[in-house]
Amino acid sequence: MTLLQAPQDAPLRIVDIAGGESVRRRLFSLGFNIGDRIALGGQSILRGPVLVRNIDLGVTVAVGRGIAQKIMIEAVDGTV
Amino acid sequence: MERSDAPVVIFIGQPNCGKSTLFNAIAGPKAQTSNFPGTTVKHTHSLVSIEGRLLNVIDLPGTYSLHPADPAEKVALRHLFLEKPDAIINVVDASILGRSLELTLELIEMGLPMVVALNMTDLAEKKGIAIDAAQLETRLGVPVIPTIAAHGRGVKELLEATFRCLAANCRGTRPRWTNDVEKAIERLSEAIPPDFSCVANPRFTAIQMIESGHLFCADFLSDIAPDLKTCLDEVRTELSAKRGLPAYEVLAAERHHLSQKIFEESGRVAHRIRRGWSERLDDVLMHPWLGYPVLILVLLGFFFVIFKVGGPLETLLLKPFANLKLVLDARLDNRLLFHLADGLLQGIGGGVAIVLPYFIPLLFLMALLEDVGYLARAGFLLDTFMHRIGLHGKSVSPFILGFGCNVPAIVATRILESRRDRILTALLIPFIPCSARTTIILALIAFFLGPWWALGFYVFNIMLVAFLGRVLTFFFRTSSPGLILEIPTLKVPALKNVLLKIYVQLKSFVRFAWPLLIGGSIVLGLIQSFHWDAIINTVLSPLVAGALGLPRELGVTLIFGFLRKELSLLMMLQALGVGYRDLLTVITREQMIVFTVFVSFFIPCLSTFAILWKEVGKRIAFLSAALSVSVAIALSVLVRLMI
Repeated sequence: MTLLQAPQDAPLRIVDIAGGESVRRRLFSLGFNIGDRIALGGQSILRGPVLVRNIDLGVTVAVGRGIAQKIMIEAVDGTV
Repeated sequence: MERSDAPVVIFIGQPNCGKSTLFNAIAGPKAQTSNFPGTTVKHTHSLVSIEGRLLNVIDLPGTYSLHPADPAEKVALRHLFLEKPDAIINVVDASILGRSLELTLELIEMGLPMVVALNMTDLAEKKGIAIDAAQLETRLGVPVIPTIAAHGRGVKELLEATFRCLAANCRGTRPRWTNDVEKAIERLSEAIPPDFSCVANPRFTAIQMIESGHLFCADFLSDIAPDLKTCLDEVRTELSAKRGLPAYEVLAAERHHLSQKIFEESGRVAHRIRRGWSERLDDVLMHPWLGYPVLILVLLGFFFVIFKVGGPLETLLLKPFANLKLVLDARLDNRLLFHLADGLLQGIGGGVAIVLPYFIPLLFLMALLEDVGYLARAGFLLDTFMHRIGLHGKSVSPFILGFGCNVPAIVATRILESRRDRILTALLIPFIPCSARTTIILALIAFFLGPWWALGFYVFNIMLVAFLGRVLTFFFRTSSPGLILEIPTLKVPALKNVLLKIYVQLKSFVRFAWPLLIGGSIVLGLIQSFHWDAIINTVLSPLVAGALGLPRELGVTLIFGFLRKELSLLMMLQALGVGYRDLLTVITREQMIVFTVFVSFFIPCLSTFAILWKEVGKRIAFLSAALSVSVAIALSVLVRLMI
């Protein structure tokens, strides 16, 4: 499932980032790697960007919806 | 010791790690520059003396890794590789050590003497993270000094460690990769011919080659070192076949795990990362609905403060200059001398009394917003609106900076990864009313027509930027790659750092703008003294009097608007030969609006034009000028017909 379909604030794990090289590199260097635990934070209005938090690192990034759609995730601890 | 003998020490770290704060704590106001005026211009180093010993310190823009994604990161890398520093001070954010160490591990491979400044240890503690600096030191093999840059803590120890490190040449323990990766790196570094110009060392160069994007020197590598190119291709193919990942990701993933491991060994997370005041405040600041009223309040408050402080200060400061002019008029019989002295006086007066009263509070608030971390939040909130004009949230902070001065705003477009976004943003910034134009709007519109007219002008101006953005996207069809923007933790800004920022920016502004202002005023004095203004006015009169319906004496002021926008106002009074308060006796309110519209948009000022040229190229600079002139003429004629 993609990050956009995930419930807010539940712990998730990044399974894959389906974007091109530049998007993958950027997300890796910001501390969002395959296997990391993340959570979907707030969303802005009018289909604006979403906030993604790396739970273990404590880093938050805002990503556009197009990019959020490429972040494939799975539930952690069966909470989803 | 000669300046050139002092060891060169480079500060490098990821964005928002407190690197510049630490740098300022060391270099202090002596730092000649901390913002990079141009990618091709050699920047000034800051020479600091610490207990009689000299260091040549250089601050670089933040970079997440040694594989740059945006132009600002490229500047950092170019300097890191070209300066050939004697030592590196790697500033890491202790509160996100796992990520920060990835850059550290990359830097260690360079094999240069290095010291790690473990910064923001207070923030880490608040988050419940305790880091054993001694353990980290053992793992990395370089001195690790805990610092809290905002309070200047650990600075002395850091410098002592740097001198020790320079003397002992401490180079750090190279990270150990898994066997197949290690073999691949070794194989490639052995394939590098001895005469090949390496960065740092063959091993580092090999790693960079494997990790770089596919275009890295592909064009010429096969020509200058065909065997090396073959080897590189083989190594990459093998690695990615074995791991099922592109080669660069194999290395990135390993480095990521390695830094996680080092972090786990040397740090203790006492409890789950706590939600502090900043997170709770963020819930409001970035709330889908509440965020916007807060944003509007912040921006309104911003302008309110600037004009509440600036207005009275301006009145106070202008008085002595006006009196001095009267004295000059009475005493100096020689007209040429009077015009020269008057020009000089007007120039200094404009610089001191008109620009500074608005500029200083603006710099202060801007530094505050930046240091608190609000600009990134504004970027998040406005991203969706920016998409409507073909850009995204990262362009918001250059735009907001543009309200202060367009010049730093255009430099700030370096944070944008794609060239398309950069050009589009740089083309729109000159339409944002900077403090100089705001001065004119206030002095002409707000003062003579009322504050609501001024506010209306502002709203109209912002709508114009949006409209132009929409139109321009027709010509830049490729879509923007989308937003990825780190939201740094909210911080209480350190006053000292804010003041230092103001000082540095003010200094460069005074150096750059005052000579122009004063020179421009003197030239105008001369022009008037020799009555050349009549010629200029005649040449421009079809535009000024014909199209715009303004008094033809104003023609000459437009020329000076190009030097600096605020000059137009001074020159307007000088050209019309009336005092500020009697302005309405010579021109009508309608003419005043047309004049303000035209002056606001008709051309980017000289400094903006120069920085556009430097940052995005000659073509874009001329395009911007052409765009401004046509928009200004079209709008002013339209406004004239409408009112």
